Amino acid sequence: MGHDESGHHDHLKLEYHPALPMSNGKLIVWLFLSTEIMFFAGLIGTYVVLRFGAPTGTWPTPADVHLSEPIGAFNTFVLICSSVTVVLCLEACRARQAKMAKCWLFLTLLLGSVFLGVKLYEYNQKFAHGIYPRKPRSLIHERANLEYAAALRFPLKAKRDKLDKKKAELGGLPTTENGESQESNEKQVEGRLEESEEQDLKKYNQLLSGVVEWAEYVATDPATPEAERRDVLVQLAKYVSGPGHGHGHAETDVSPFAGQLDQERAELEAEQARLEDEQRRLLVARQNNADSEAAQKADIQSDLAIVESRLKRISHRMDGIGLLRELKHGINEDHHMHLPIVLPSGNMWASTYFLLTGFHAIHVVVGLIVFAIGMCMRLGPEKAGFIENTGLYWHFVDLVWIFLFPLLYLF
Amino acid sequence: MSETNPANLDGHDSDEHGHGGLGKYLAVFVCLCVLTGASFFTYSDLWPYKDTPAVGWIFMMAVSCTKAMLVMLCFMHLWWEANWKYVLTFPAALMSVFLVLMLIPDVGLRTRKYSEQRWQHAAEPEVPASAADRDPEHAEDHHDGTHANQHN
Repeated sequence: MGHDESGHHDHLKLEYHPALPMSNGKLIVWLFLSTEIMFFAGLIGTYVVLRFGAPTGTWPTPADVHLSEPIGAFNTFVLICSSVTVVLCLEACRARQAKMAKCWLFLTLLLGSVFLGVKLYEYNQKFAHGIYPRKPRSLIHERANLEYAAALRFPLKAKRDKLDKKKAELGGLPTTENGESQESNEKQVEGRLEESEEQDLKKYNQLLSGVVEWAEYVATDPATPEAERRDVLVQLAKYVSGPGHGHGHAETDVSPFAGQLDQERAELEAEQARLEDEQRRLLVARQNNADSEAAQKADIQSDLAIVESRLKRISHRMDGIGLLRELKHGINEDHHMHLPIVLPSGNMWASTYFLLTGFHAIHVVVGLIVFAIGMCMRLGPEKAGFIENTGLYWHFVDLVWIFLFPLLYLF
Repeated sequence: MSETNPANLDGHDSDEHGHGGLGKYLAVFVCLCVLTGASFFTYSDLWPYKDTPAVGWIFMMAVSCTKAMLVMLCFMHLWWEANWKYVLTFPAALMSVFLVLMLIPDVGLRTRKYSEQRWQHAAEPEVPASAADRDPEHAEDHHDGTHANQHN
């Protein structure tokens, strides 16, 4: 760099610098960083577009997507610490304390690894809940509609059928939709399936006929009021993924759904009693009209069939309510299931989350590689330029996280 | 470029002149931690503006910008650098701020101009149908075929 040949500053003289007054390496790092600013501004801009453009009230809250704010804050703290250690490494380097410098660099490397480890843990949490950026593995549904109910029914049915088949192979009769024959089967083949499998089978049957199919039935029943049809499916989604919303559920013994379910149970019991009366009346009528016209008999018969099928559904629902009444955090969590969940705008959330944190994590990885290379060097003053440039890059990584943390975890 | 002096032009050794130091770094570190705590505070139950999230957002962004400035000025040594810092950082910062500022108003208003058809394909707002029916403002948004769409 051919700069500043005069060296005199005591008299006014215009100076001409053919380049910026710093080393080429540092210049390049700064140029690189200024392009990086725009790169991340573009990504964050995209996030802003999608997040604030999402239909009102649909963007998932951190609790919905199992984001833990304290973990995010901890990671912020780790990165800030690593920024301090890298700057102290540079100071030690300049002060000709090579050993000290290496210590600080090692600490930075360690802190960066901690950050990545926490990130890995967080990603795993997302994957465990079926939150993936795209469909084949993602369990996210945008709406609680009949399609969602069907998506719940298929895996449950598959699991139920698998156990049924196993039971049949072991010599028992398969359970049917009919709860009574299922019970008698259990008595027949007691001990054939393992205890836990028997329980699972019962659970799947309860979930299928008492929860999912009931919701589908209510939602498609022409007698159901319009608003209720939608609510029953929304409620179904809540049973699966838990009440959600707000942080720190109080750890109580009472299920969050208890009130609602008790009310439903009371209503159904009343209906059950009414229907049983009706059933008795029809049975008597059938008895009395044994000799009357065929048409009238058929009428009574069909009325009876309707009443009986309704009664059967209600008894399934009662079983289902029994299971739901025990829930604390939703079916998925309490029963270790992997059922589809409803998360409005959830797919978009997953895409932006993994894109932003993923690009940031790649930057962290690159930083760690450079630190690892630095660990192989003797960190004397001649290496101060290298450490300074690496440090600049690392501070930038920290800088990006400073914005990502509130945007992703706290907004 | 009046700040530049011969010693400063050697690149590597340019920053050995009386800045930095453990004390300053630790002070900045403490500031950063306190500021992180401040933005984390919006998450706690003590935060008074739970009803208007925009207040929290603006607060957090202000905190983030402060933290970014602290990191850049102190850790990245921009405070002590010569005037070239403006050449490299200002245009990039301007463009990124510009980008975000241009996006927000445009995008913030986007859903208010949705057509009925667009709403049918949008993610489902988490407003119970009964509440939506009672609240005319919401009803306007969600009435359009959300129900019909689901039950046919």
